[in-house]
Amino acid sequence: MTDEKEGIPPMLGSWKKLYALVLGELLLCILLFKAFSWAFS
Amino acid sequence: MSRLDWFVLCGALLFVVLWGLYKGRGAQTGDSYIGGGRDHRWWLIGLSIMATQASAITFLSTPGLAYVDGMRFVQFYFGMPLAAVVLSVTIIPLYHRLKVSTAYEILEARFDLKTRLLAAILFLFQRGLAVGLTIFAPALVLSVLLGWSLHANILLVGTLVMVYTVTGGTKAVAWAHTSQMVIIACGMLLAGFMTAHRLPAHVTFGDALHVAGGLGRLNVIDTHFDPNNRYNLWSGLIGGFFLMLSYFGTDQSQVQRYLAGSSVTQSRLGLLLNSMIKVPMQFLILLLGALVFVFYQFHTPPLFFNPGPVKQVMAGPDAAAYRALEADFAKARADQSLKAEAYVQARHGGDAALTAATKLQLQQAQADSETVRRKGVALIEKANPGTNPSDTNYIFLAYVLSSLPVGLVGLVIAAVFSGSMSSMSGEISALGATTVVDLWRRLIGGSQGQREVWVGRIATFAWGCFAMAFAEYAARLGSLIEAVNILGSLFYGTILGIFITAFYVKRVQGGAAFWAAIVAEAGVLACFKFTSISFLWYNLIGCVAVVALAWIFSLTQPASATLAPTES
Repeated sequence: MTDEKEGIPPMLGSWKKLYALVLGELLLCILLFKAFSWAFS
Repeated sequence: MSRLDWFVLCGALLFVVLWGLYKGRGAQTGDSYIGGGRDHRWWLIGLSIMATQASAITFLSTPGLAYVDGMRFVQFYFGMPLAAVVLSVTIIPLYHRLKVSTAYEILEARFDLKTRLLAAILFLFQRGLAVGLTIFAPALVLSVLLGWSLHANILLVGTLVMVYTVTGGTKAVAWAHTSQMVIIACGMLLAGFMTAHRLPAHVTFGDALHVAGGLGRLNVIDTHFDPNNRYNLWSGLIGGFFLMLSYFGTDQSQVQRYLAGSSVTQSRLGLLLNSMIKVPMQFLILLLGALVFVFYQFHTPPLFFNPGPVKQVMAGPDAAAYRALEADFAKARADQSLKAEAYVQARHGGDAALTAATKLQLQQAQADSETVRRKGVALIEKANPGTNPSDTNYIFLAYVLSSLPVGLVGLVIAAVFSGSMSSMSGEISALGATTVVDLWRRLIGGSQGQREVWVGRIATFAWGCFAMAFAEYAARLGSLIEAVNILGSLFYGTILGIFITAFYVKRVQGGAAFWAAIVAEAGVLACFKFTSISFLWYNLIGCVAVVALAWIFSLTQPASATLAPTES
């Protein structure tokens, strides 16, 4: 598998940044959901 | 259903089957039939992963859960992005490097044949039973609410799925998944839009959220740690992480989806795409359920949404008592509608004290009608001993049939069928692949040419027939259905533990891993039988038990090599 050749993801420039985006989105979702629960409870 | 609904339903299902047949044509070898040609792009992988995971009951049950219990179910999926990142770093490059067709192949390279077969057979057992329920549960709901034959329903879904899955293999499954996800997305989005639109004209979307939140239906995050509580932040992040790690990393029904990727990059992007969409998507589906709950603040719902058990009560000695309760419930709900109106008017007036007072009155009215409903459920339990008195799975479809416009009803039912077909096709395709690669090819041998395509077709067809037969039998299982529903969590932890031991515990050899898995599985089954620990935690318990026991058992053996994943 020529992963090294295609090792750079098509966005953000590195896998670490892409993983950070995925985890950041999860954190953002949790914070927004918490705020959502609080705002309408 | 109207003619337009039938037209939409039949047209959508026909398109799915023809699209799957067309895109799946041309498999010449066993590897192309099982591996899908290994040329799938990230978006195709992502959609296929999502469609395999999302069964029809997901779309029927999730809005019902929000209606009954609020939106905390979304926390169940919090472990998924964490697991997707870990799997992208570790197992996906390894699977691609070793060019495996099933997840269990690498266990033989690392341990021995018996450990590979143990993992493959655990998968075949739990997934083989679960796929039957995948088609049984929605077929039951449709048959009860629409009066369709349960048997015809199961036969229809099973036959449609097998036409393209048996013929075209993994490629047909993946492409059919794209059309199914489009149907599901259109159906659910339009249903959500129409639900918001059908609220009384003076009730804004913000009012609706305040009504739902005031009555405890927008409780998304629960930070209180309680191992017996099924859905909270910690069970989702920790238990859910291990469940998702096992499901996406070792369950062939998912592994097969991303192994069809043309490269590590495409496989990773597909898995990550799914993990980024899944949490917001589940939130929106739950929000739809909360909106249905608000809709029924201004319209009277039935006392119990599942008409099947109600018929049993009406045929028995408690019929008069149940009718009286229905009258009481209608009265209580009419009062509740007035309280909801008063709360909305108070909010519009901007008087904080009046708003707080009317909110309390609405909460009291909700508690009163819930008291009447509980009495009704008690009568239902009495008339249907041994059955589950929950009507959660029936709420959304009952609402759709009674309140959504012509055409959209057909589309939502097509979405339910699509959900049923998408998960069944992914699962029987994976069961067929495991049977061919881990049993037939390994134990009997033979060429990987056209002959193996036919063996794959026969195995997939046989698993499809087994699924339909089990679905037919499921109606007789009664309360055992709940046990089968959590079957995945009974085995996933053990399977994941075998894989983690393979990758990270260098000194463990096959015998130690095999016996550790047997003992750990017995422990998980004992937890299920004798404790009240929530099922999500079984994934963690099983996994940790295998790793720990394998390490202990290995102390009596010399150290062995490891299959370390490569970082890229």
